[in-house]
Amino acid sequence: MSNVVERQSLMTAERFASGLTYEAYKAQMKQNRARFEKFERENVLRDADVEAFRALHRPLKTVVLTEDWCSDAVATLPLLAALAERSERFDVRIFYRDQNLDLMDTHLNRGTFRSIPTFIFYDDEWAEVGAWLEKPVTIADLRARLRLEIYASDPAFGSPDAPSSDLPDAVRERLWAAITRMRDDTTPESNREVLRELKGLVLERHR
Amino acid sequence: MTRPAVRIAYCADCGYDGQAIDLARALLSEFGHDLSSVSIIPWDDGTFDVSVDGRLVHSMAQDGGFPDLGTVKDAIRALVASAGPRGD
Repeated sequence: MSNVVERQSLMTAERFASGLTYEAYKAQMKQNRARFEKFERENVLRDADVEAFRALHRPLKTVVLTEDWCSDAVATLPLLAALAERSERFDVRIFYRDQNLDLMDTHLNRGTFRSIPTFIFYDDEWAEVGAWLEKPVTIADLRARLRLEIYASDPAFGSPDAPSSDLPDAVRERLWAAITRMRDDTTPESNREVLRELKGLVLERHR
Repeated sequence: MTRPAVRIAYCADCGYDGQAIDLARALLSEFGHDLSSVSIIPWDDGTFDVSVDGRLVHSMAQDGGFPDLGTVKDAIRALVASAGPRGD
């Protein structure tokens, strides 16, 4: 199963040009800058990935809907930016989700959720090639399983169904550290899966 | 009896900080010194939980959506009443 949807285009050249470049977006980030830069340094992009996307005849206009508090975006956006820079096949502009709800609401995750990051790919005629949402489903499942394992690893963490707010502060901090470590540790695998899904989305439909 | 403590755990990855802060502000405005504390805890996984003295009065996972302010206030009023008059 792939986290991919197709929708009618709401994009125009003028609107696209109003989006932030990657560097401009980075410059105004208020949250998560250190983690963002960590993932820039650790991205999993290989030469073979870059070459694969060079099969695209022309760069795809790529709209990113995001907010800087989003941890999935922190992990994935640096990968897209590196892919765009090295392959020269993605012209990326970044838009804040909450200021672009018309675009977001035509790309709802499972028809309900305003999930970010959302990457929307357009051809030269502003026809939508496809969209990629939030995170690979396989990674969501993997992290859910690992999260249960974390809870099971220490009786002090209690039940995963119980509110974390009522854990003693020290225990909650230990649990949070374990969850954050798990998410960071699975980011390389997540990003490899993102690349696999993007290849399926844009290479198979727009070669 | 000690004054009630409110804890609000919210999913920071979901952008729920505004709702958490608004709820904390509303409770402090209503109850002020009748509360011992209002804690706002950034968490993840779609969380928006509100507990009063360890008793869960709203869970987004269980109840769906954000809490009804009246329900949270009623839970606090019940505990404030049982705590008796404050001594300031």
